[in-house]
Amino acid sequence: MSFQIPIGPQHPALKEPISLRMTVDGEVITDADIRLGYNHRGLEKLAEEKTWVQNIYLTERICGICSHSHATCYVQAVEKLMEIMPPRRGLYIRYLVSELERVHSHLLWLGVAGHEAGFDSFFMYTWRDREIVMDLLEMISGNRVHYAMNTIGGVRRDIDEGQKAKILEGVVTLRKRSEYYFGIGANEPSFVARIAGVGMLTKQQAIDLCAVGPVARASGVARDVRKEDPYAVYDELDFNVCTSDSCDVLGRVVVRVMELLQSYNMIEQMVKGLPDGDIVVKAPRKAKPGEALSRYEAPRGENVHYIKSNGTDKPERLKVRAPTLGNYPATMVMLKKGFIADIPLIFAAIDPCICCAERAVTLISARSGEESVVTMSDLRRQALDRSKNTPVKGKSVWPF
Amino acid sequence: MRVAAFLPELLRHLFKKPATVDYPFKKLEVPANFRGTPYLRPELCIVCRACERDCPAEAIEIMAVNEAEKRFRMVIHNDRCIHCAQCVDSCPTTPKAMQIDSLYELAADDRHKLKKDWVYVRAVMKPKPAAPAKEPAPES
Repeated sequence: MSFQIPIGPQHPALKEPISLRMTVDGEVITDADIRLGYNHRGLEKLAEEKTWVQNIYLTERICGICSHSHATCYVQAVEKLMEIMPPRRGLYIRYLVSELERVHSHLLWLGVAGHEAGFDSFFMYTWRDREIVMDLLEMISGNRVHYAMNTIGGVRRDIDEGQKAKILEGVVTLRKRSEYYFGIGANEPSFVARIAGVGMLTKQQAIDLCAVGPVARASGVARDVRKEDPYAVYDELDFNVCTSDSCDVLGRVVVRVMELLQSYNMIEQMVKGLPDGDIVVKAPRKAKPGEALSRYEAPRGENVHYIKSNGTDKPERLKVRAPTLGNYPATMVMLKKGFIADIPLIFAAIDPCICCAERAVTLISARSGEESVVTMSDLRRQALDRSKNTPVKGKSVWPF
Repeated sequence: MRVAAFLPELLRHLFKKPATVDYPFKKLEVPANFRGTPYLRPELCIVCRACERDCPAEAIEIMAVNEAEKRFRMVIHNDRCIHCAQCVDSCPTTPKAMQIDSLYELAADDRHKLKKDWVYVRAVMKPKPAAPAKEPAPES
């Protein structure tokens, strides 16, 4: 006999609200379903009301962890539209911050993976070391989380010699610590036993379901925008795409630790080879009519922004495809045939950022369970219809 | 593979100082170009409204108090401010009329207490060659 258990939208095992429905047979999951839309924020519509400059800060706030990724992806697209090229020093600083962000995101994820596997001391140690890179980011940009480094046509803050030395010093400590974690991952039998063989996703499934980022790379698919379609400075840097063939959560841990080590190399290359010159060029306030698409390898996978301009100082359309959305179909496959106790671990292993990915509203009838996806205009029409028929409340007063 | 590979590291940390700071009693130093609270130097503001136009959080308001006297009022809503310092970047005057300081302890029990306002007379932008010519004057 099979049961259906709902997990979420609010659940202690989930860090962000999402609704999962598991059909279980005993302890084993036979079918999984996911429902999006609980955390819909209307961000794309809001972007149409704001100017090109204001939207940098809006897109930065799509996500709290890969904030620089979304802002960079947006800025890349706007620069394509405006046909401006940032100076080389500006680009180097922009992608230096990108790599530092990847380090902080992967260290954060390693901690979360340790926590979900019940290895809480690992979680505390990685998060302590993450403070080193957070402090470096704060030193460079002046902010700890939303760095606000990007502007259209370059970056907003320069790096001086003292900061370069501090970055290199921090990277040395971080590399030593990461190598130690790599050894722990390979040697701590209880940790390895908990994550090995959990959440299997074969190479063919990863290709079929269009998995992105470390999830695809852990299934042996060497998919990385930085290598396949090198943007800005990545064709000048020397790095490898890290893959693993184990296809499980262990592979995702290994891929992320190896990517950390690659990122340290890239940071050192960029700091040492930082070219001289300006950091920013002046950007026009309006963009020509047209459309642009930009791809960016965020810590979680490929991030895509599409922008359409109508010649004014505001975008006509901004479409965001966050990496988590690309990984949802693969997650459903990973969950099948797993145990209920593995749900948080498997779900955390794609490094989900739910608020990045929410872009649709689904209405579910409470009586019949019927589902319908509604458009914004339909919603507005329904709202108007409803308010038209309600009687005017005579005694209602503005509460403030 | 060995049992409890993490144990030596754990034992070593028993004799180390904690990595955290006792916050209200001890404070970490903020970096030099930290983005704290924005403020205005009213004697420099030429009321071009660039900051008001570019603020992504719409936290800056500039309104005329008296058009004839060129008297203006600027309100910064610190409850809405996202500390991006775009207003400082947008400010066209030199030195900049919009500035950002390193204050970060902004909590208040009422959001209206976070409002800051300045009433000032609009500054006149000096023609550029006037500034270097002015300096040697006191020497001679």
